Amino acid sequence: MNPNENGWQKLTAAARRWRDERDAEAPYGFAVRVAALAMSEDPVFARSLFERFSWRALGLAALLALVSLAADYSALAQSASDDGGFFDETTVTSVFEIS
Amino acid sequence: MPDDEPFDLAGCLARVRERDQAAARDLVEHLYPLVIRIVRARLPRRVPEEDLAQEIFMKMFSRLEQYQGNVPFPHWVSRIAVTTCIDHLRAQQRRPEFRWADLSENEATMLDAVLTNENEAAPDDALAAHELVHKLLGQLKPDDRLVLQLLDLEQKTIAEISALTGWNQSLVKVRAFRARRKLQKMFEELRRKERS
Repeated sequence: MNPNENGWQKLTAAARRWRDERDAEAPYGFAVRVAALAMSEDPVFARSLFERFSWRALGLAALLALVSLAADYSALAQSASDDGGFFDETTVTSVFEIS
Repeated sequence: MPDDEPFDLAGCLARVRERDQAAARDLVEHLYPLVIRIVRARLPRRVPEEDLAQEIFMKMFSRLEQYQGNVPFPHWVSRIAVTTCIDHLRAQQRRPEFRWADLSENEATMLDAVLTNENEAAPDDALAAHELVHKLLGQLKPDDRLVLQLLDLEQKTIAEISALTGWNQSLVKVRAFRARRKLQKMFEELRRKERS
């Protein structure tokens, strides 16, 4: 243990002897105010409802995407092979002419 | 509520879940001492302790559905309190400049003893030591400050810190190591300032 570390340990040991004598009870009206706020906002119900539906919606959307991909796979594959690539010859020629 | 009856936490939580406002009030009163101790130990500057306590309780109520009972309820609330305090500390971009002139006579003597390591006896002014430790910790980044406060001041174990902060145990050890190194650098800087 180096001198600084030793000094730090002594300092924190001394600090631990300090006792916080302040009142730890809730101030008058605090609990009533917080409880009223929390119960009026109804965040638990609203959020749990939102979460439940948003997860279901996400699952359903993913399922629909997979089903549509599987259903149209043969058509997509056929279309890709017919096109023979993203750029056709005309597009490439036009680009060279512009540049 | 009579003081001699033990607090029925499980029953109270069940009633709070049924939107019972009186139960919510009882729960706040029961947990207030726990929450306010955490807040006072880590209170960010310029944030009134009552406002921070209210924010913690509002988070507790809004997340109540997520509480599965895997840990005791007060531990779960402690974690919300600690993370809320650390979020406030992180939001404060600037930390106060540490100046010798701002220290009380006792604090300056203590810091001098720490830096020079001349005084072998432990400092005997607990209040001054407490103030000085917090001023020194206030110079560190919030995560570094938190890990040293929990380890050295509150003497929590690595496992307890991990449970309280949500950091895994390796991360707690790494953060503690880095925080001590920064503290070391800070002491060296203070020693240079003292000599100049």
